[in-house]
Amino acid sequence: MEIEKGKTFKYLRDKREVPQQVKDQLKEFNRIKKAMLDAFKESDLTIDQLTQKLNMPKPEVVYYLMSLIKYGFVQTGEVDDMDEYFTYKLKK
Amino acid sequence: MMSGQSKNISFDALVVGGGIAGGEAALNLATTGFKVLLVEKELSIGGKMIMLSKVFPTLDCAACITTPKVSEISRHPNITIYTSSEVGNINKIAENNFEATIIRKPRYVVIEDCTACQLCEQACPVSVPDQYQYNLVGRKAAFIPFSIASPKAAAIDIDNCILCGACEKVCPTNCIDFTQETEEIQISVKTVILATGFKLFDPLLMPRYGFGLFKNVITSMQMERELAPTRPFNTVLRPGDGKVPDKIAYVLCTGSRDASIGNPICSQICCMYSIKQSQLLMGALPMADVTIYYLNIRSFGKGFEEFYQQAKGMGVNFVKGKIGKIRETENGNGNLILRYEDINEGIVKEAEHDMVILSVGVLPNQDASGFFPKEELKLDPYKFIYQADSLISPARTSIDGVFVAGTASGPMDIPDSILSAGSASAEALSYLIQE
Repeated sequence: MEIEKGKTFKYLRDKREVPQQVKDQLKEFNRIKKAMLDAFKESDLTIDQLTQKLNMPKPEVVYYLMSLIKYGFVQTGEVDDMDEYFTYKLKK
Repeated sequence: MMSGQSKNISFDALVVGGGIAGGEAALNLATTGFKVLLVEKELSIGGKMIMLSKVFPTLDCAACITTPKVSEISRHPNITIYTSSEVGNINKIAENNFEATIIRKPRYVVIEDCTACQLCEQACPVSVPDQYQYNLVGRKAAFIPFSIASPKAAAIDIDNCILCGACEKVCPTNCIDFTQETEEIQISVKTVILATGFKLFDPLLMPRYGFGLFKNVITSMQMERELAPTRPFNTVLRPGDGKVPDKIAYVLCTGSRDASIGNPICSQICCMYSIKQSQLLMGALPMADVTIYYLNIRSFGKGFEEFYQQAKGMGVNFVKGKIGKIRETENGNGNLILRYEDINEGIVKEAEHDMVILSVGVLPNQDASGFFPKEELKLDPYKFIYQADSLISPARTSIDGVFVAGTASGPMDIPDSILSAGSASAEALSYLIQE
């Protein structure tokens, strides 16, 4: 097949199938990302509050939240009076 | 996918491993005028050192030392670097004559054309654990390995790519190329330096410490990342719940000096990097209590004892104790109970901490033993590369013309790795000019 520069992914798509597990992983990430961003639209939240809203295990919330901070969707807010837990909010 | 494409190129020296030892050895040879091929299996050179926060005992910024060195290696006209590449085999034909097969995996990015603009990263919809942040945070499938990577160019994680083309659509230089295939490259060299480094002990092999099960038990390398300027979180946090920890424990000799897990030798660096991290933690979290549980503190190098005393002076608590088991508290707050033998008092005690760092040991990387199908590259009893004459000529291996640099020959710290690389490059030079 003729390979067009800037569209070479089509070349590999013809030769290689994307594993189902990779597709499922993407769906899961998008679901969690949407749920987290929707939750933050209502108010700024701590990890504990986010955990309760999303009904997810805390370590998973930490992992996905920190990833969303890295990707530029969320930012860190203030720390509580005990200097223990931060509040997080949507990046504007 | 193998293209079957084969090249035949000549170099004076092949250096296997682009960590600090391999890089130093390559630079020494190149500066003397010899042509060097540096083969690195990761996407960036710099090895483990480039991932560190600071170095002991000077507390110099590791990146500030590594980055100029890595840059010098990358720009040197006598050094050719193959990243994402591995040695298939090396055959000695005669003295000063080796033939090697290098397997070069596709990066799916033309490095020379990539400007590291990160637009592909932003466009990529995929998120997977970031191995360069030791899985504490995610990264995209189109990604720059880390901010000080060299080469600083994007790469495509093809195993996790959904082939949506989003990265290609936004790339301003059209440097993404999904037609790249694995290359098998035949090279001829006159000498070989093995700088294949070490592996870190996997604490999953010690289930009694709860790593993997209890999220607030992390490895020293994960803490290293938390303390680095390019850290995964905004500050030091517990991965279990995002709390800023205030009662932190280090468990020394995790996976070293322990015959029961097959590694009876001392890793030589764990005491000092743990003391270094404890000092950095006290700087980052001034209210934190840090306790180091140890068997013996081996502060044997220049300035090490003073560094140890400095940590004590800063308030780091040292407990001579052997940890038996770590468990989580029952109240669900994520804190951890360490059950240990207080060696000085001879009694079993328990202590509660809110975060535990396992100071994991150094293990041999045995990759090099498979490089030579026709010669025997001897390993020592602990599976590091055997030094044929460790006193007089420490870089010599069991194969003439093949030299060893850095932690491939045994546990050592960064200055000793660089010294070892100097020794290996000097021996290789001597071998090259006797041609």
